Amino acid sequence: MLRRDFVRAVISAGLAPKPLLAQEAGNPAPSLPAPVPWTLGLNPKTPLPVTEAADVVAETEVRFFTQLQISTLNRLADLLVPPIGGKPGALQAQTPLFLDFLIGNSPEPRRKLYTLGLDWLDSESRKKYSTPFSAIDDASAGALLKPWLRTWMSDHPPTEPHAGFINIAHNDIRNATVNSRAWSDVPTVGAEESTAIGLYWSPIEPEPAGLSAERSPVPAHVRAAPKSGESFPIYPR
Amino acid sequence: MKNEIFDVLIIGSGHSGGMAAKILTEKGIRCLMLNAGPVADVSRDAERKPASELPYRGFKPPGRLQHVFQCNEFNANVWVDEQEVPYTFEPAHPYNWVRVRLFGGRSLFWSRQSFRLSDYEFKARSRDGFGEDWPISHADLAPYYSRVEEIFQVTGALDGPPQMPDGNFILDNAPWSASMQRFISAAKPWNMPVCKQRRASGRDGLASSVNLLLPDAEKTGNLTSIADAVVREITVDKNTGRPNGCHFVDRITRREMAVKARVVVLAAGTLESTRLLLNSKLANSSGVMGHYLMDQIYGAGVVCSVPEARGGKSKGIMGGGAIVPRFRNITANHDKFLRGYAFNVSSSTGAVDPRNFAAYGAELQRNLDEYHGSGFHMTVMGEVLGRYENHVRIDSNKVDAWGIPVLHVETKYTENEFNMAKDAVEVGSAVAEAAGFEVLSKNPEPNPPGYSIHEVGTCRMGDDPKRSVLNKWCQSHDHKNLFVVDGACFASAGWQNPTMTISAISMRAAEYLAREMNRQNL
Repeated sequence: MLRRDFVRAVISAGLAPKPLLAQEAGNPAPSLPAPVPWTLGLNPKTPLPVTEAADVVAETEVRFFTQLQISTLNRLADLLVPPIGGKPGALQAQTPLFLDFLIGNSPEPRRKLYTLGLDWLDSESRKKYSTPFSAIDDASAGALLKPWLRTWMSDHPPTEPHAGFINIAHNDIRNATVNSRAWSDVPTVGAEESTAIGLYWSPIEPEPAGLSAERSPVPAHVRAAPKSGESFPIYPR
Repeated sequence: MKNEIFDVLIIGSGHSGGMAAKILTEKGIRCLMLNAGPVADVSRDAERKPASELPYRGFKPPGRLQHVFQCNEFNANVWVDEQEVPYTFEPAHPYNWVRVRLFGGRSLFWSRQSFRLSDYEFKARSRDGFGEDWPISHADLAPYYSRVEEIFQVTGALDGPPQMPDGNFILDNAPWSASMQRFISAAKPWNMPVCKQRRASGRDGLASSVNLLLPDAEKTGNLTSIADAVVREITVDKNTGRPNGCHFVDRITRREMAVKARVVVLAAGTLESTRLLLNSKLANSSGVMGHYLMDQIYGAGVVCSVPEARGGKSKGIMGGGAIVPRFRNITANHDKFLRGYAFNVSSSTGAVDPRNFAAYGAELQRNLDEYHGSGFHMTVMGEVLGRYENHVRIDSNKVDAWGIPVLHVETKYTENEFNMAKDAVEVGSAVAEAAGFEVLSKNPEPNPPGYSIHEVGTCRMGDDPKRSVLNKWCQSHDHKNLFVVDGACFASAGWQNPTMTISAISMRAAEYLAREMNRQNL
């Protein structure tokens, strides 16, 4: 290269826009936004905001069952799992609304089991009592339900259509109620069922080498506000 | 290290792979272990929670894992996703393939029931003419069973009849509860031996490959492990025709990679090992690979209540459990089925499941209060016969998330299994009534095949290379540097949980392999 060409090249490079130079640089450090680099600051001592489960403070919108079906399910749930002792019943646990969400997202056979079952229950009630199921008294409802109650072992619910619906729905309503926040908030007495407690596994994904919780020198997170019974964390200033 | 040729490539990290790694590395053999999933760190990945804090209140997340009946919201993330690694079957004959790909595999989650097979299983054909005898007997495997029982810290009593050989146990000398004593007396007319349960205690509450086997292997410095390595196929040396490593794909990045080894040991779990061999088009000169898929019937059983224990009087009456080993077709032939079944028996001091009462509301609660602490349960595990037509093959029309062709499973239970379940429920109910228990519910219908998570066979061992895939050392008849050390090698299923047998067979095969390598035969 002639000397004048070299000088021209150096001058051109000096005048080139910075992004162009960055592309040519191969592996440049990212530019830092002012006034504080955005990736810094968050660290294990950063207090975690305390959040609440949405369904504790908000009402689930009915999106799957029809108005008639949800009315029938409300009555069925209240009948099968009413408030007993200090424990809430299915309605207090918002179980029908939860089932609208659960069943609405389930595979078609389970959706059908519920929709056909609820429709059948209401039509039986209208046929026998000229009243929607949602409005019949306990004795009349019992007369409709009891012929279909069965004992059964797990994974093997009754296979007769109406018995299948009644017994599966009963099991679902009961489990959803026992595992509700409303139920777990009330202390369990005697042989009352307790909310299931277990080891919940998050999605398990690999982590950068050497950063497993066991090997990590980073202390566990602290909460911004402690749950009752926990001491308040002290933040050195 | 990058181009290193390992002595042994082990695919799979559960009980069979972990055992092979332990034995081989302790003998100075350099092993590479590949596992298709990540390492689970319980302190990072799991947290104890009430169901009320979970979005689905503990229910199985809808639409996921439809064929994993064991799935709930707590454990939904530990199972292999059926969308990610699908398999196919005829809708009329569903198969429940229950898989874990975390490092350690299903050894992280198992019932710990720890039984030996007996010669009633190893030499079953000689007794009833059905199927094939194994090329080994209990005497061949007994020394290995003893060492496995020591590693797994198996508790039990030396009370087994010939069809349930005793072992190297931490002795259980606890007395039977009153309800169990009544059950034992009532069972006598049926010649039902009632024995103490046999269960692996493990160490620190876990009896897994990750805490009992892999640490020993890692201590030697001879084990290298890679997680998230989804093996696509076994590779073959073009000159010798022998397996020489594998291609794998990184589960997350999809990066395609390859490794080399002198010997390949498959321990990916029965059906994954077979799938890999079928996809690699290896070791199937017999044509029986994929055939003779077996497991055990589960789901049938009887739930009872002990009347005297009701109303809060369970103390001293209730508690404990037992195993009733197979008692059918031992001293007399049954006319409705071959082989037999076992009962798992438990006397509970806890709640009785509400499904045992045809009642609701206040009436149901009165029953639950009254019956609390009086539940007595019998569940059935019965042998499924090995039939050629019960098989798996590659479904060339479907691939998994990494483009690997999936398995098609074609299997169903026959009258033998259904009659066995029916007999079990009839006998269980009769014994319960003879003991003075109230039968609350019973079910004679088995769950779909696969539910027991005891799938075995499809690469069965045998002396005849035309009728079996492996020899008695779990070594391929076709390729002497290829071994399959998981449940795929079983020649019959038995009624027993297979973990002890898989572990003992893997130990025996690994010792043979080490000897052969030292003799320069491999």
